[in-house]
This record gives sequence, structure tokens and C-alpha cells, in this order.
Amino acid sequence: MIEKSNASRAVGYGSLLAFVLFVVYILYINLEVFYTAHDRSEFIYGSAFFQRLMSKPFGLMQYVGSWLTQLYCKPVIGSGVMVLIWTLIFFAGTKAFRLRGSASALMILPIACLLTSIVDLGYWIYIYPIRGYWFSQSAAYLLMLLLMWMARSTPRRWHLLWYLIAFSTYPVLGWYALLFILCLSLSERPSWGELLGMVILLFTASTWRALLYSHLNSDDVVMAGFPVFDTALDASTHQSIPFWTLAALSILLSLFGRYLAKWFVPALCAVSGIIFTLSLMYRDRNYIDEMRMVRHALDDNWAEVLQIASDHPRPTNTMMFLKNIALMNDGSLLDRSFKMGNDYVSLNNPDSLHVTLLDTASPLVYYNYGMTNEAIRLSFENAIQAGFSPFYLKMLARCAQAKGDDKLVERYTTILNHLPLYEDWQPAPVSAQVKELQKSFTDELTGVENSDSYLVNDISLWYSTDSKLASEQALFYAMLRCDSRRFWATLRNYVRLHMDEEFPLHAQEAYIMFMDKSPEEKRIMLPVEQSVYDRYTQFWATIEKLARPSMKLETLSEELREEWGDTYWFYNIFGRKINISPMIMQEHGN
Amino acid sequence: MKKHLHILTLLLAVALLFMSSCTNHPDVPSSSKAVKSLPDIFPDYCDVTVPCNIAPLNFMLPSDRYAACVARISTPDGQQRTYGQGVKVQIPESDWHTILHASTGKSIKVEVWGKTAKSESEQNGEWLSFSPFEIHVAEEPIDEYISYRLIEPSYVAWDYMEIAQRHLTTFEETQIFNNEITCVDKTKGQCINCHSYQNYKTDNMLFHVRLSNGGTVLVNDGKVSKVNMKRDYTISSGVYPAWHPTAKVIALSTNKTRQGFHTADPNKIEVYDMASDMILYDIATDSVIVVSADTTLLEVYPTWSPDGRYLYYCKSVPLPEELAGKDIRSTYQKVQYNLYRRSFDEPTLSFGEEELVYDAASQDKSATLPRISPDGHYLLFAQGRYGCFHIRHLDADILCMALDDEAAPDIDISKLNSEGFPDSYPSWSSNGHWIMCASRRDDSNYCRVYFSYFKDGKAEKAFMMPQEDPEHHTFFLKSYNRPEFMVEPVRISVDEFSKVFTD
Repeated sequence: MIEKSNASRAVGYGSLLAFVLFVVYILYINLEVFYTAHDRSEFIYGSAFFQRLMSKPFGLMQYVGSWLTQLYCKPVIGSGVMVLIWTLIFFAGTKAFRLRGSASALMILPIACLLTSIVDLGYWIYIYPIRGYWFSQSAAYLLMLLLMWMARSTPRRWHLLWYLIAFSTYPVLGWYALLFILCLSLSERPSWGELLGMVILLFTASTWRALLYSHLNSDDVVMAGFPVFDTALDASTHQSIPFWTLAALSILLSLFGRYLAKWFVPALCAVSGIIFTLSLMYRDRNYIDEMRMVRHALDDNWAEVLQIASDHPRPTNTMMFLKNIALMNDGSLLDRSFKMGNDYVSLNNPDSLHVTLLDTASPLVYYNYGMTNEAIRLSFENAIQAGFSPFYLKMLARCAQAKGDDKLVERYTTILNHLPLYEDWQPAPVSAQVKELQKSFTDELTGVENSDSYLVNDISLWYSTDSKLASEQALFYAMLRCDSRRFWATLRNYVRLHMDEEFPLHAQEAYIMFMDKSPEEKRIMLPVEQSVYDRYTQFWATIEKLARPSMKLETLSEELREEWGDTYWFYNIFGRKINISPMIMQEHGN
Repeated sequence: MKKHLHILTLLLAVALLFMSSCTNHPDVPSSSKAVKSLPDIFPDYCDVTVPCNIAPLNFMLPSDRYAACVARISTPDGQQRTYGQGVKVQIPESDWHTILHASTGKSIKVEVWGKTAKSESEQNGEWLSFSPFEIHVAEEPIDEYISYRLIEPSYVAWDYMEIAQRHLTTFEETQIFNNEITCVDKTKGQCINCHSYQNYKTDNMLFHVRLSNGGTVLVNDGKVSKVNMKRDYTISSGVYPAWHPTAKVIALSTNKTRQGFHTADPNKIEVYDMASDMILYDIATDSVIVVSADTTLLEVYPTWSPDGRYLYYCKSVPLPEELAGKDIRSTYQKVQYNLYRRSFDEPTLSFGEEELVYDAASQDKSATLPRISPDGHYLLFAQGRYGCFHIRHLDADILCMALDDEAAPDIDISKLNSEGFPDSYPSWSSNGHWIMCASRRDDSNYCRVYFSYFKDGKAEKAFMMPQEDPEHHTFFLKSYNRPEFMVEPVRISVDEFSKVFTD
């Protein structure tokens, strides 16, 4: 009997330990995601932000959640706080659902749901509109369990009072108040009290809308705080699964929890929790590395950006742009860019969200090309919908600094300095490159553009700039655009400004190719290295040798990639071309 | 033991409650270093003239340079009060109104001490005493309410926006309408703006709702309805409205508005009309009369004279022949507006001939947003070098001109304007002694509401609309858009307004 008990305990502790290790591992591999979570989550000190959230039910939890999310600035600290909340949930849950012995391991399952909810977001992290998402659900669930623990510690005749308390906490706890009423009423044998609880449950949201939230759409009051992933362009039910599961589990635990004190339950719960999380968690190398690159680029740590880029044969277009900015800052753009590759892959995005460079890093990219007005506009466009998070505030502060708007710099810096871990934050000085590029083009009036195509189209038009750096960028983007007319125009300007300097490798490659395939009538004669020219000849010879009738271009490209993938010629013929679709004029004044 | 614990808890709670309700009346520093300059307070209330019914002018010293602030306020009756907590000076409303009452028609003296923040060299900051300043309290009150749209200084995207009303005697701000309650199509979104009142009263008012569930929400003698002013002969539904001061007619412009973005210019955004005309909406018959529809010129921003006998508006001057028909993106800097008026015959709803009121174009300028003073003697308008959307033009200022011989001979409202920042959307209080404008002078980006006292053709130094927490303007990332005076609050609730969308 004793042996059986020890074995049961061993299974219990073993399962718990396995699950704890799993949680730690999942948190560890998502540390970059958590950093980005804080960087893209809005928290503004002061009464305006507080009141805005408080004007909706569940607002207080969102406010608390928003503040706590900022702790992810140091992902280990944020994760530590999250683990603490989950630990409290575990203990409060065992009391609230009266789980004894092996049955207490059932609380692993709600925690697995909450863990899943913060690692399944994928690219929603850039566009989700829910303030305080990362902590508010865990914090509210903890409060609900504490409330339930207290309620179940009182005599049953007091339950009616607890139903009324839950009703009155709806503005704070939102849908967790409803879950509380449901769980409490189901945890006991039905009586008149429980029936009344159900009636309260049915009318809670509508009553509160009439009492306090008549300025809100009814949909925003019913099930307040339940995460709904819905924007003007995107919607997903996938991300709500952990919360529906959490609610279902809480109800089941109320009904049957106490009967599940079996020795195998801990193991079953640990395995179920792990499978549940792994099956819904979003994992993609580009997703994480893109976040790392954005973080380092924001710190002007271009060496690290290049390091990540060099480890990455198949980047996203955001990564490609950041790599080229890093090379620009490094001074080796026209010598290394095509060696490192300018092909990019689409985002691995199972939800088919409309997430692009625009959402992930566009203000950062535009800022580094000296296009500060665009960077400001894009920061606003995104922040208005996704929130004035540290990322956008930092970008706005840097742009204001580049524009010389000192008062604005002061405003954004003050706001950032009031965030928990940003006390001493100051915008980095404007780099010489940004200063030079900012002055290198003339003003024009544009409409709403596609971010990546606009960059390529616009920069490749800097034909007549007097800036050496800008002429290099113009030449590079004309090459990336595979546009002979712009190539010749930008090359002339580049040569004018870079007299007596070495002719960079990729520029030589492009020059040889365009001289061969699309020469101008009035040719510009430049010296090229014999080895480069010989290689070009070999390139075409190899193509002729490998190409077979009806062979697909992709097959040929794969066969050539290893030997020729580091050349401009390969990019020009086989590379994925940047979107250069024309701009869209904005129709509405605002 | 348990009983004692309860008593202790209760005492603690009472003490906390007491402390939270207390105002901090700090002592004036016993020793301080005199500084011969005015304190760098935010908002800048040094030597301003304020109405006798304004909310407390709370202010603060910059928190990066100072650790504490004490202000001593002296009234003409010899009373002195000190305030200050941290770097902020927040005066309770009851105290403030006592101060105003004692100082009406006179001045309040404000002395400010600031304790410098600790530096590496100095472990403890030192107290500085700044030159005192005065706040002049005018006898003329300001209209008790204003309304405005709150929106981020946006480009294309917008999210949540609201039209709010503010009680100027207190800090109370309530919502008139928001763009979420009736939005039924998230992909379209919903935009709200252009609220307008008849003669400063709210029984007759309107605001527009665009895109999802769009229309004009009209309040006619307190009854709410939604109307559609678009006709097949107008280029759009009504946009910029102006209620006739007495009749149930509304003049509106109809606009095909576009915006473009500067790639380098500090103005950043350009809003321009591809076409605009003017209409008159007759509420009784739900009919739309075309006032002007010149296809080559742009008419916009109608406003009525206080007696309702004239309709003032802006109209563009013809473009030079060589620019005619060219893309607006290359000609927008040549589009300039003058101010005109036409007489109005209310019984027949007909208009007289057009008269030029102000020729801005001949000075290579563009005048917009005319507003006539309630006594009919003065005309306020915004002026920049070109275009019609001056709130985005750094060179935009507000100008005032005499409309008749009864106006003061020397008009000077330079103290209302800022140097190098957009000042626009001027309006008069109902007694004609307060000018309100929207200005980006604080940081070039966020519009804030400013007031200036006007008497005998002179405007006094403008001051920012006071907030309970002076830091509010730093952390509030929205602009105040289209501020309008009202003599009474809008009493219809958001929910009641929303019902006209479901009826």
C-alpha cells in the first residue's frame, strides 16, 4: 500500500517536473518573441491611457497586463513574473476546484492553455489590437480562482452573495466573472441559489451595458476581455482556441475535478498539456531571426544584423532590407549584397495574415534610408491600429530627432522613460548615413505606396543626387530592380561621384551584364577586372550546358545556385524580383 | 488581537482616505537663490489673461531639471495660498474659483520656487526663486463648453475616435459620440467629424459619420435623425457645415478631398480638394439647393454673419493658364483662396452677388476658415501661403480684419499666434471676447486648444486649455480637432445618437 502511494507520488512529482521543464524550455525558445511582445505592446503612463482602457469592461486587467508586458523588455524578468502567476494559479486552482492528491495535477491543463496563448500568436504579434494581452488573461484567471477559492470557503448559503459579487466584478474581470458564476454554480448540487446564479450569468453583460457602458457597441461588452483576433483586414479563430479550452476545462474541473484523484492523472495531464502547446505553438526560424534583426537594427548594431543575415540562406524581405542597410552602414553593399543573397521567401504564415514589411519593420527601414517623413507616417499608420508601443515611440523619437523637432523628441522620450524598464532611454544619435541620405533627395508629394516596391522604385530614381552614399543606394536599387534604363542613369551618377575609387564587384557584374544585354547607344566605358569578365562568360557557358528543352527555370536555378548564387547575374535571371507595382493614390482626406 | 487588527486596518484606511483628499500646501522655501527670469512652467501661463470662469490653471516645472515646485498665489484681497506636490502645481477647483472670484477684473500674482534635480555634483538640489508673474482675470466669462474631435494626428489610418465636450469651468470631459458604437463594417471603418451648432446652442446641431453606416446626424429642436445630403447633382454629401444663426438651414461645402504626403518637406501632409462646391440644406423640406458649383474653382468653409444676412466662404482663384489641367500634385502650391461673401434672403433662400471680402492671393497667400465676431465687426481667418488645410502648414497664422467702421482701428492679434507652427481653426466665444484656435505650437505635431482674450481689437497672449494633470498633454497622443464653442452641453447620450443608425 505504501509502495503504491510512493509510486503514485513519484508519478505526480515526475510529471509535474517534466511539465515545469517543458514550460521553461518553451519560454526559453520564445524569449525573442517576448522581447518583441513588449516592443509591440502599448502602455502609456498617465490618466488618458488608463481612462481609455477603463471605459471598457476588463479594462483594469488590460491596464495591468499592459504594464506587466513591458517587463518583457528583459524577457527573463517578464517570463519570471509570468511563471509566478502560473504557480499561483496552480495553487489557487487546486483550492478553488478542491483538487486533492493526484487530482491537483489537473491544474497543469489551464496553465498549458495560458502558455499556449502566448506562443501561438505568430505574425499576429505585429497587428493584434488587444491591449495587455500577454498578462491580462493569466492575471484575471488567477483573480477568478482566488475569488472561487474564497467563495467555496464560505457556507453554501452565502453563494448567492458571491454571485452578486461576481456580477459586480464584471467591469474588472469581464468574461472571467461569467466563468466564475458558471463554475461556482456547477460545482455544487443544483439549488435555487445556483438557478439564480444562472439568471445573473445570462443578464450580466446586458445589465452592465445599460448601467455603465452605453457608449459601447454591445459586442464589446458581451464576453468582455475574451480575446478576439479581428482587425479590419484579418480575422482568426485559431488564436482563441486556448481560451475556449481554458473555459471548458474550468467547467469540467468544477464538475468532475474532485473525482479524478487517480495515480495516472498527473502523467496524463503533463503529456496532454505538452501536446496541446506543441500542436498550437508557432515556430519558425525566420519569424524569430527577423525579430532579432529588427531589435539589433533598432540599436544600430549592424554587425549583429549581418551575422544573422550571413547564417540565413532564405530570409524574408524584411531581413533582406535590413541586411542591405547593414551593408550600407558597413560600406560593403556593392561588394557583398548579392554574395549574401537578395532572394527572399514569403512569410510562413498559416493564418494568411496581411502582415508584410509594412508591419514588421517599415519605419525602421525608411528611417535608415533617410526617408524620415515616410518613417513617421508609417509609424503613425501602424501605431494608431496596433498601439503606440515602445517600437513606434522609439522610431518616432528617432525620426523627430533626425528632423530637428526637439520638443517632439522630448515628448516621446518622456513617454518612454515612464515605462518600467526604460528610465534612462535616449534616442541614439542620428548616424552620418541617415543625415546624408535625408538631404539627398528633393521633396515630392506621394500617395499611399506598397512599402517594399516604393523603396526600390523611389531610391532607384535618385539619379541626380550629389551624395555619394545616395548614389550608391540608387545604383544598388536600380540593379535590384533589374532595370537597364535606371541602371545606366544611376551608374553615370555613381561614377561621377566615385572617381578614382574601386569599382565594386557587384557593380562590375551588373555593368558587364547590361553592356552585354541592354547597352545604351552612348556607351559608358569603364574598366572591369578580367576575372569578373571571364566568370561572366563561364556563367553563360554553364547555362547553355545545363539548360535543356522544357526544363523549368527553377530546376536550372537550383543547379546553378551553388556555384553562381553569389553573383548579380544569378539574381538578375533567377532571383525573386522585388514587387515594383505602381503606387496607389490615397483617396480620402482626413 | 483580531479586534485590534480590525481597528488598525480601519484607522489605516481612514488615514489613507484623508491623505488622498488633502491638498498639499507646502511651505515656501526658507532660503532660495533668486533667478531673474520667469519660471519655465508648462503650460506657459505667465502673464496671460484668463476668463473669470476657467478651470484651474495647473502647471508644472520640467521634471528632468527640477525635483519640486512650490507656487504662492496672491489675490488682490491680500490672501495667499501655496500649492505644489513634486514638480506639479495642482489647485483644487474650489480654491481656484475663490481665487478667480477675488481677482476678477484684476490680477493674480504667482511666485514660483523650483528645487533643482539632484546632479552628480550636488547631492541635494537647491531652491531657485523665479521672477513672479501675473495672471490677469478678465471680467468677461468664456462659454462654458467646447467640443472637439479627438484623433491621432493621422495620415490615412485611423482607429478609435470620438467627439467630446469639455466643461471649461471644471475638468469634466464627456463623450458626445464615438466611431465604434455604430460601426457595422470593420473593413470600411467609420469616421466622424465636422460637428456644428446653431448659434452656440446644442438643440440644433449636427455631425457627420462617414463610411460604414454613414450619414449626417442632425439634431433638430432636440430630435435626432440621420439624413443623407448627397444628391445626384452634388459632388459629395455635405462636408464643412455652418448652421444659419436663426433659420433652419445649413450651408455646407461639398468636397472631393485627397491627401498626399511630402517626402521631405517639414509640412509632411498636404490635404487638397480636387473639386468643391457649396450647398444649402433646408431641414424643413430635406432639400438641397446648390449655392455655387463653379467647375473650375473651389468653394469651401462657409460661415454665416451673426445676423444671418451674409454667407462668407473661401474660393480659390483661377490657376495660371499654363498650370490649368495639370496634376494637382504639381500645382497644389499655386492653389490660393480668397474670402468672399454673398447676401442671403431667408424667406426665399436665395443669394445675392458675390463680393470679395479679402484678397489673399494678391499677397501670394491663401485665406481659409472665416469666422465673424458675434458683434459683426471683425473677421477671423487662417492664412498660409497656399492651400486650404492650414492646420498642416507651419507658416499658417490667424489674422483678423475689420468688417465695418465700428471695429477698433488698430487690430493686433499677433499674441494669439505662434512662431513657425500651424495655428488654425479660429472661432469666437458667444460674447466675442475669447478667441479659440487649434495650434501645433507645443511640438509641431499634436494639436492643442488655445484661448486668447480679445478686446478693442487686441488679442492677449494665448494660453493652453488647462488640464487637471499638467502632464496630460505630454502623455495624450491625440490631437484636438475642430474645437467649437457651446453655451450649453450636448444632452443627448451616445446611446441615443446611436439609435438613429438602427431605426
